[in-house]
Amino acid sequence: MEKKIKCTKCGEITTVSGNPGETITVTCPSCHAIGKITFEKIQIYKSEEPIVQIKNISKKYKDILALNNVSFDLKKGEIFGYIGPNGAGKTTTIKILVGLLNKTSGQVFINGYEMPEQKSQAHKFIGYLPQQVAFQQWRTLNHALTTFAKLSGMQKNSIQPKINELLETMDLTKFKNKKINQLSGGTIQKVGIIQAILHNPYLLILDEPLNGLDPESRYQVKQIFKDLSKKGTTVFFSSHILSDVEDVATKICILDWGKILKIGTLDELKTEFVKEKQIEIILSKKTEKFKEINNLIGVQNILEKSDNKFLINIDKTSDSDEIIHNIIKTLLKNDCRIRSIAPTNPALDEIYQYYLRKGGDK
Amino acid sequence: MSFSLIFKDELVGFYKSKAMIFLWIGLPLLAILVHVSSQTSDMSLSILVSLVVSSIGGLLASVMLTVNIINEKDTRVYDLFLIRPLKRWHILVSKFLAVYICVSIACILAISIGLLVDYSESQIAFEIIIKNIFEPFMMTLAVIAISSAVGVLIGVVAPSILVGVLLVIFGGQYISSIPSIIPFVFNIENPFTIVLILGIIITTLLMSLSILLFNKKEF
Repeated sequence: MEKKIKCTKCGEITTVSGNPGETITVTCPSCHAIGKITFEKIQIYKSEEPIVQIKNISKKYKDILALNNVSFDLKKGEIFGYIGPNGAGKTTTIKILVGLLNKTSGQVFINGYEMPEQKSQAHKFIGYLPQQVAFQQWRTLNHALTTFAKLSGMQKNSIQPKINELLETMDLTKFKNKKINQLSGGTIQKVGIIQAILHNPYLLILDEPLNGLDPESRYQVKQIFKDLSKKGTTVFFSSHILSDVEDVATKICILDWGKILKIGTLDELKTEFVKEKQIEIILSKKTEKFKEINNLIGVQNILEKSDNKFLINIDKTSDSDEIIHNIIKTLLKNDCRIRSIAPTNPALDEIYQYYLRKGGDK
Repeated sequence: MSFSLIFKDELVGFYKSKAMIFLWIGLPLLAILVHVSSQTSDMSLSILVSLVVSSIGGLLASVMLTVNIINEKDTRVYDLFLIRPLKRWHILVSKFLAVYICVSIACILAISIGLLVDYSESQIAFEIIIKNIFEPFMMTLAVIAISSAVGVLIGVVAPSILVGVLLVIFGGQYISSIPSIIPFVFNIENPFTIVLILGIIITTLLMSLSILLFNKKEF
């Protein structure tokens, strides 16, 4: 394995390689300072099994059924977006998953270890960010992160370089020695994300991780999710910001009243939602003969959205590209000028509303 | 490893806290005040201070622990600890020990002032003063241990800081005084050993109950 290290004397960045668990002596190529570095041990990962298996879990709070027979699996490297309205049961699922809440019935396995019975083994694989992240106020940012790194079993000499690297990525180096009670809400949220990813967990569980972050930080965090996913980390996160879920999630689950309404990739969710394919056309010049496109094969009807903006409904079975080609030919032949033409793509927001309404009708 | 780490952190956290600084200055100051106001008393100052600080130190230890645990529960500080490979009892025992040690040091400082005054004002040999103060001092430590354990238990079960503090003030103090009262109620000749044994038993029982409830708690 390879690791980038920064010389503490001159700041020179060098790449070194070694085996997991091995300690090597490194000489800085620039200032010739000598230091030691230990490569972290790789945890046993049962790659043949899904990293998360949730089987028919239910949770009752007195008379309220917060979760009703929820089941799903998560595979290595998936980014799982868990969405639903307030009180849908997202946080309850997450807390059961990390072992902070007990389920009423069902089974939860993390990397083959059953929760909560084998949580001490399962916790070695988890990085977690709660919805309301909090640290002991008297700690400095660096002290808090060091403690969590040690508790997660990180090698002593790899803790500080990793903290420095993540603080730099999140632009928090200037707050390193500040006390937690001197930090803003957004900064604390970023520190929360750092403590979750610090020990390179195989499973990252985050409850509303993008809350309170500015657009730039949200972009950074989403990039981190994508990078971790590429390295094989499974990311499970809940969010209310649907555009963010749409940006990063490879699998989406819509939850309402403790029940899963729909689960699948964004494309799979769209398939049921899109009853009819639609093409949107914006014209810069329209002639009377424009309506000739009504006669084309596959075109069902034209809806006029504004003076020069139209929606064309086409058969679900027909090839959109072929129809778009024919529409362009017809429009040009009839002296119309096209500003844009493209098949419409429903946003996750529309799909979400559709499934919630559908679920509510049942 | 995780216990020693958390214990060390808690110890640092408590001894650096404003409440503890106040205690370390406040209790010795109290000893001086007791000395000034009890010039006519026949009892030696160190024994008198020992009695006063066992009650005040115990109350402060239990209030500090109750408030700290409820506050950290409410602000969800424990979530990040409990999802790591760590035993839940580590959190409670490390807090108990950290506060117990800090409050005991404050008491030792206060009693030491009493000892110095007794030594300077009387013609009694220092060894005899030490011998006389040893038993009350050990009883003070026993009472503080029970008070601290009461603080932990109330911190685990109380729903809010206000309820917790009220329970400590109106209930905790009675539990802490049990070992001091029992030998006198049953007219036991050597109360010191009984107080110590009762102190250890009650503290262990209270801490075990706290750990049991904390282990079952959902966050």
